[in-house]
Amino acid sequence: METNNQQQQQQGAQAQSGPYPVAGAGGSAGAGAGAPPPFQHLLQQQQQQLQMFWSYQRQEIEHVNDFKNHQLPLARIKKIMKADEDVRMISAEAPILFAKACELFILELTIRSWLHAEENKRRTLQKNDIAAAITRTDIFDFLVDIVPRDEIKDDAALVGATASGVPYYYPPIGQPAGMMIGRPAVDPATGVYVQPPSQAWQSVWQSAAEDASYGTGGAGAQRSLDGQS
Amino acid sequence: METGGFHGYRKLPNTTSGLKLSVSDMNMNMRQQQVASSDQNCSNHSAAGEENECTVREQDRFMPIANVIRIMRKILPPHAKISDDAKETIQECVSEYISFITGEANERCQREQRKTITAEDVLWAMSKLGFDDYIEPLTMYLHRYRELEGDRTSMRGEPLGKRTVEYATLATAFVPPPFHHHNGYFGAAMPMGTYVRETPPNAASSHHHHGISNAHEPNARSI
Repeated sequence: METNNQQQQQQGAQAQSGPYPVAGAGGSAGAGAGAPPPFQHLLQQQQQQLQMFWSYQRQEIEHVNDFKNHQLPLARIKKIMKADEDVRMISAEAPILFAKACELFILELTIRSWLHAEENKRRTLQKNDIAAAITRTDIFDFLVDIVPRDEIKDDAALVGATASGVPYYYPPIGQPAGMMIGRPAVDPATGVYVQPPSQAWQSVWQSAAEDASYGTGGAGAQRSLDGQS
Repeated sequence: METGGFHGYRKLPNTTSGLKLSVSDMNMNMRQQQVASSDQNCSNHSAAGEENECTVREQDRFMPIANVIRIMRKILPPHAKISDDAKETIQECVSEYISFITGEANERCQREQRKTITAEDVLWAMSKLGFDDYIEPLTMYLHRYRELEGDRTSMRGEPLGKRTVEYATLATAFVPPPFHHHNGYFGAAMPMGTYVRETPPNAASSHHHHGISNAHEPNARSI
């Protein structure tokens, strides 16, 4: 099952705001002896990390000052755009916008791929991690032909397990409220990580790595509490 | 590096076939929509010939791998490693992303009988193709670019006029929610609507501010 990016955000927001019953059950289960379902817990963490990613990107762009040293060469972008023979003229702003868009695209695809590598307890990002990220994300459907079918099949099994483990439903009334609540909840969380960009993400990922390595429900509960605060 | 390049060459058939399919589909759509544009297509081909686009080099079809890896490292933990096939796959994905968005933006240009793909066309295409999370940061990025780099364009009168038109287009583009065919997407339409409602205030204020600054700047500089 493929999940929509916004739907993921909504569910994340709902989890943070607390109306999601399974989340509450997960918390109580963590306090008790039993451990919550691993997929559900992992999914919540992933959604929180993705929300923090987008929130951080917005903040970073607010302070951008240099438009000449792009992360990606504009001439190359223009050539790729003009590879389509139907494309005639391109305004000067389009490649500049694409340079930033491609950076966001690479970052999002990389973070989603890395989450899959973490699920499999690996520290090397592989092609099948990218295939999994493509399979799980609706907006990446156009990339399906780039990854081999075998890798998609393997990940389809994992996706099936995830889908069966975590049911999805979004009450229409709750959606706007969830989004409204979710947005302020994320900002304080981001405020906690007031650090240089690379260090901020490194600390986040180190925490995630430690959490994964320990596999402790209590640690997860603490993280969720921090997220809510 | 050479091995990587060789790998890229091996993967050429997949990418090329993908591009050909997309190009053929677009050509069919174009011919169906505008029968009279066959002459324009011919002229387009001649223009392509003049620019020697047929001889585009192999390496020019992808973004430089060093740049791609640098961006990936920004989001990965320090102990993470990236396999060579993952690096190449991301390279291919980026080119596919550019072609995917450009194709949609170009279709809009053709429908409106315009020849130049603008930044607004790119933003519109992303919104239509589901990249909603990208719209807000990229809109801010574009506005900041125009604020900080506006000195150059404000020297000319015509670009200012065109910009006003572009802003109007941008405002128009943001008002209607994107259209989706699947029921699931319709369910998502509500949050998208909410998202759109949040964006216009910022865009509108920025638009007005920028317009005012533009109105003042040329006079000051002309004097």
